[in-house]
Amino acid sequence: MGMADGSKDRIFAEGEKERTKREATDFHAMGLRSKDLSFLQSEKAVEDNVDDVMGDYSEEEDSESESESDQEDVKLAEPSKTAVYNREGLVEKLEDIGWPENVDWMHKLSLDIDQEKEVDVNDDLARELAFYTQALEGTRAAFDKFQSMGLPFLRPPDYYAEMVKTDAHMQKVKGKLLAQKRQIEESEERRKAREAKRIAKEVQAEKLKERAKQKKQEIEEVKKWRKQRQQSGFKDGKDSMPDLGFEDGKTFQRSSKKRPGVSPGDRSGGKAKQGGGKSNNKNKKNREFRNSKFGFGGRKGMKKQNTAETTNDVLAFNKSNAAGNKKRKR
Amino acid sequence: MGKKRKHSETQTAEPRKKDEGAPERPKRTLMGWKDKDEVNQQTESSPDSPQVFRNKEKVMVTCSRRINYRYRHLMLNMVSLLPHCKKDNKVESRSSKGATLNELIELRGCSSALFFECRKHQDLYMWMARCPNGPSVKFLVNAVHTMEELKLTGNHLKGSRPLLTFSSNFEKDAHWKLLKEMIIQIFGTPKEHRKSKPYHDHVFVFSIVDDHIWFRNYQKSVPHNESDKMVRGLDKMTLVEVGPRFCLNPIKIFAGSFGGPTLYENPFYVSPNQIRALEKRKKAGKYAKKVKAKTRRKMHEQSNPLEPDEFADMWRE
Repeated sequence: MGMADGSKDRIFAEGEKERTKREATDFHAMGLRSKDLSFLQSEKAVEDNVDDVMGDYSEEEDSESESESDQEDVKLAEPSKTAVYNREGLVEKLEDIGWPENVDWMHKLSLDIDQEKEVDVNDDLARELAFYTQALEGTRAAFDKFQSMGLPFLRPPDYYAEMVKTDAHMQKVKGKLLAQKRQIEESEERRKAREAKRIAKEVQAEKLKERAKQKKQEIEEVKKWRKQRQQSGFKDGKDSMPDLGFEDGKTFQRSSKKRPGVSPGDRSGGKAKQGGGKSNNKNKKNREFRNSKFGFGGRKGMKKQNTAETTNDVLAFNKSNAAGNKKRKR
Repeated sequence: MGKKRKHSETQTAEPRKKDEGAPERPKRTLMGWKDKDEVNQQTESSPDSPQVFRNKEKVMVTCSRRINYRYRHLMLNMVSLLPHCKKDNKVESRSSKGATLNELIELRGCSSALFFECRKHQDLYMWMARCPNGPSVKFLVNAVHTMEELKLTGNHLKGSRPLLTFSSNFEKDAHWKLLKEMIIQIFGTPKEHRKSKPYHDHVFVFSIVDDHIWFRNYQKSVPHNESDKMVRGLDKMTLVEVGPRFCLNPIKIFAGSFGGPTLYENPFYVSPNQIRALEKRKKAGKYAKKVKAKTRRKMHEQSNPLEPDEFADMWRE
């Protein structure tokens, strides 16, 4: 086991040299379990390979790969030992498919943006922000390049051509955005209305209090005046009468605001408008008739009733008529 | 890319008939159209930039049968984003997938392919391959949002050349570099392509987070009530997302097209089948675990009896 530990340290040191920690090669030994003897044998082989230039090799041991995290896209906690990493092959292929060196940047249009800090995958906002800033920086850099080359970059507003999303689709998008905006506005309004109502209620309460206070005050004043008059022996006449404002006799009159009388057959409770003065009289009559028959649910059907007259009308039934009730089975 | 060099072989064999009527067509080689005189002067010209590089990339986009609606829409979105692609019919075969696909690509005369494979109606695997003998990559696709989603409100010209931005992580390792090169060649619209449009009004973002490649597509929007000149103040530029969005998890890189020796295998990759199996297994032992827990509790209680409670009789009448 001593040997194994020593080798592990060495491999760890190697791992630190590489910038990324996640290379399968360096972790081949780290993920090993100490129980299995056969692993120790192959560990030596791994060491040799790791020390040399990364050749083309693949581990043949079959090992269980356990996944321990519970995200939607699960990742192995320990890297699998059977992972192949053929660096030379990769570089070779890269040279194979790569475009020649002197290719203009205009063909590639690719930019490398420095990503300063590690972004947590699960934090959606931070991740999207990172992508956004990457795109923005890329655009700025490209814009500078294009400017230096004197080429047009952004689309002028009057250039009309086929777009990648159809106009119908964009209409839907617009509709949805507007609906959202409307929703927000409505909720704002509702909130404001609630607030206003609360305030109005308070104000009303205040007003009532005021009125009550005023009334009390006035009554007190009258009493005082009466007492005063009593004391001074009713000799003043009417000079010092306080102007109390309720002697014009108006308080005993009812307000002249008329409330319309409601007839029993009127289903609208007297609130139905009778129409403007412009409408024709005949038209109005027609409208009234139709309103009473069909408006607001129609006339209360008092069509069939057992009244005295109808009870005595047994003879109205036609006995000879065979097709009376179709539903009755014969 | 090297296959179309036949012309250079027949070059010397062709007689020079200059007075045939219409001037002969210039030779078509990979490196652009050349007049015959230029061909002769090839060796004389400076070695720096003798030939005009022309990007003749053509991508074939196909999918497997039994593909999901969501992934089909993703594929159609890709087709509309890449003007240099050719959409082909669904591919049926399962066993000899590699051979069939290679043949198809040859037939259509394409140089790369994007193959969307949907397994079990649930998992989408995307293959990116270079046809003749190039490397191919298999990805697992997650977090798919298509362009049809109403929350992605941007829009851009169909066929305009995108600006590709890569995060700096792509330079960190060989396999990322290879992927970057493949992405540039497949997702970048060739310059002066027939169906390409001028102006560059959208940006692709490829970024490596947590060993996955995240893809985003943004439209550059500038408020239009500024000056009429082309060069507008770039400070006010905002990016609106156009979509689609997806996240690629590289599984394997092969040396050949749709097969061949494995160059790279992602050590952290767990197949979705395994994930599902694990979940089921976790749930399977629930009853047994409950029974075990009960017996354990009982044993524990028996072995550590509680002290008699002083206040147990307090409320009893």
